[in-house]
Amino acid sequence: MAKKRWLSALLIAVMMISSMAAPALAEGEVQEITWMFWDDLEASDDNITKGFAQVIDRFNADYEGVYHVTPITTTLEEYYTQLNALVDANQTPDVFIVSPGPNLTDYVAPGVAAPLDEYLADGWKDTFAGDSVFAQQTYDGKIYAIPLNTAAACVFYNKEIFAEAGVEVPATYTELLDVCQKIKDAGYTPITISAGTAWCLSMLAGYLCDREGVDLAALNAGTESWNNPKTVAAGEKLLELSQYFQETAAGDSNDDATAALYFEEAAILIQGSWAIGQMNGANPEFEAKCGVFQFPAIEGANDPNRIIAKSDSLAMSSTTKYPEASIALMKYFTDDEAQKYTAEIGGKIPVTKVEYDASIAPAQLADVMEIFGKATATFGFYNESLVTSDAGSFFDNQMVAIFQQEKTPEEAFQAVEDWYAENGYR
Amino acid sequence: MDKMLKNKTAIIIFMAPALILFTAVLFIPIGTSFYYALCDYDKATRSYSFIGLANFRKMLTDPTMGIALKNSLFFLLFSCISQLIMGILYAALLTNIQRGRNLFKNIIYMPCVLSSAALGLLWAFLFHAKVGINNLLEYIGIKGPGWLYEIKGFITLPMWVVAFVALWQYVGQSMMLYMAQISGINKSLYEASYIDGATKVKTFRYITLPLIRPMVVTAMSLNAIGSLKFFDLIYSMLGDKTENLKMDVLATYLYRTGFSSKGGNHYGYACAIGVVLVALCLIATAVINRIFKTEQYEM
Repeated sequence: MAKKRWLSALLIAVMMISSMAAPALAEGEVQEITWMFWDDLEASDDNITKGFAQVIDRFNADYEGVYHVTPITTTLEEYYTQLNALVDANQTPDVFIVSPGPNLTDYVAPGVAAPLDEYLADGWKDTFAGDSVFAQQTYDGKIYAIPLNTAAACVFYNKEIFAEAGVEVPATYTELLDVCQKIKDAGYTPITISAGTAWCLSMLAGYLCDREGVDLAALNAGTESWNNPKTVAAGEKLLELSQYFQETAAGDSNDDATAALYFEEAAILIQGSWAIGQMNGANPEFEAKCGVFQFPAIEGANDPNRIIAKSDSLAMSSTTKYPEASIALMKYFTDDEAQKYTAEIGGKIPVTKVEYDASIAPAQLADVMEIFGKATATFGFYNESLVTSDAGSFFDNQMVAIFQQEKTPEEAFQAVEDWYAENGYR
Repeated sequence: MDKMLKNKTAIIIFMAPALILFTAVLFIPIGTSFYYALCDYDKATRSYSFIGLANFRKMLTDPTMGIALKNSLFFLLFSCISQLIMGILYAALLTNIQRGRNLFKNIIYMPCVLSSAALGLLWAFLFHAKVGINNLLEYIGIKGPGWLYEIKGFITLPMWVVAFVALWQYVGQSMMLYMAQISGINKSLYEASYIDGATKVKTFRYITLPLIRPMVVTAMSLNAIGSLKFFDLIYSMLGDKTENLKMDVLATYLYRTGFSSKGGNHYGYACAIGVVLVALCLIATAVINRIFKTEQYEM
């Protein structure tokens, strides 16, 4: 009996020691990190996503036995909710994608994202197109995220439908209304947009506000009220344009709305140039039929050459056990191979000094670059440029309320003003 | 057994694991939630300050809370009434047929054991604006409605759609409970009634219905609690569109307020919504027990 007890105790001790020793040995061999992203690397048709999948594969192959990254993927709609859950559970991914603006601030302010200046100082920063690419990622002089690409919000259109309806690219808002009416008369849906994914509608509202000359900085600072003649005029135009939206706009997701353009059911899509990778990936034949123009001017109002621009960025967890591996991974996303792919296949604007072959890049990218070249200034998405991400979500919902005619533009913008007051920003 | 019950050490030893587990994963979190409901919880710094009943006062002027409460009460009433009627109807029909009883019983019960998330996606596809049912309707020249995005009316069309899907999924559970109760009714009662000239409808009215009354309390209480904390189906069918489509129920609003990136991270307010949810569950159960108060009959 005593022998059996001793044997049992010995076996338990061996099991405990081996279970404690095993991970230590494994960690010594390979530095395991995680990278979180808002699309499915396996199932997505988006060319940018496919490019990211290649980066991950390349990194894991090149650093085999040294570093290894495991992707954590989710949908765009669920991304920040799941990332927040991981942060709350002290399981922040080592590297995660994030939009600049209040979303990035949500991770910089509580110290979730690490400053990256010391890693950029080894010459990595010099590979970027300039210091300005880090403007939206810089807080108190420190850089907290690495931009991967730049995209501009433009108007994508179907050249064949335009030709059939006998219309030209509109330069002004009045011309846009005329074009939409003629396209409708020709039997097509003039504009495809998603109100189900509220930020899509909000992006259009942001353009209308900016074209009307809304001073967003003054609204955020509280020196002007959200309920003012310019915002209200923008809201009225949003309502006016909504008569040309597809019937299912209220429930359509961003993917549904984008698909309506590349499946040639609708003539116009107002979307970021990141959609190029999605459209060309899902329907390569559409590339030749797809044109791009900048959002039209409102006569007698603001500068029409201002464009909405945004970049996908990578942040590193401040609690990562393996900063070297995390930085090595981030460098793979900004190396020449990845950046060339960004332009030549993905159709987005690279952020580094890489030279790419414009002749093989998506046809739409040349148009986007031309619009970018003419731009006098860039500005962010309205929902990513307000005081907090909560304020951005509230703004999105108010724009949907205008579209659904639940609120008048005055009521909707007054609600935004009230939100600012209730949350201590007035 | 008696000897064992007198042994206090044995009682403590046997109860301790369950008590510790329940305390750790249930009682402490519930107690903490009640406390956080009285606090303003700052997620960024993980600090909280006591604000009394401010979160509950805020609810009184919160329009989304009003919508969530209205929708939850609609689900409560709809599922209690519809599952009561459909559950008893299915149970009565299936106990009276011989051939195919098990087949139909399994078909009706099957959705209960399937994943709500998977079923939600399936039904969302069927009720999609362009495919599924609307595509079929288009073939016969009918323009289908926006099943999942029409927002007109006091109770919107998407609410009715989701309520219908919930009925389809959970009616099997009510049916099984009523069938179990009906099966327990002594056959001699029916035979006696037939000898006295009662029709099938009359035996159902005067024998079956009164004798399954105790099960009505159980089934309705389960339906009421289930429909008040309704979350998975509605979330998988509508995702994060619940707010814009006026489709929030208490559970989705709680989730969005406390955890979602869209207006989320207000833990204190989310806990207050949770407290309201618990209170409603208790009230609904008490009301059902009072309305259907009954004695147990020897069957």
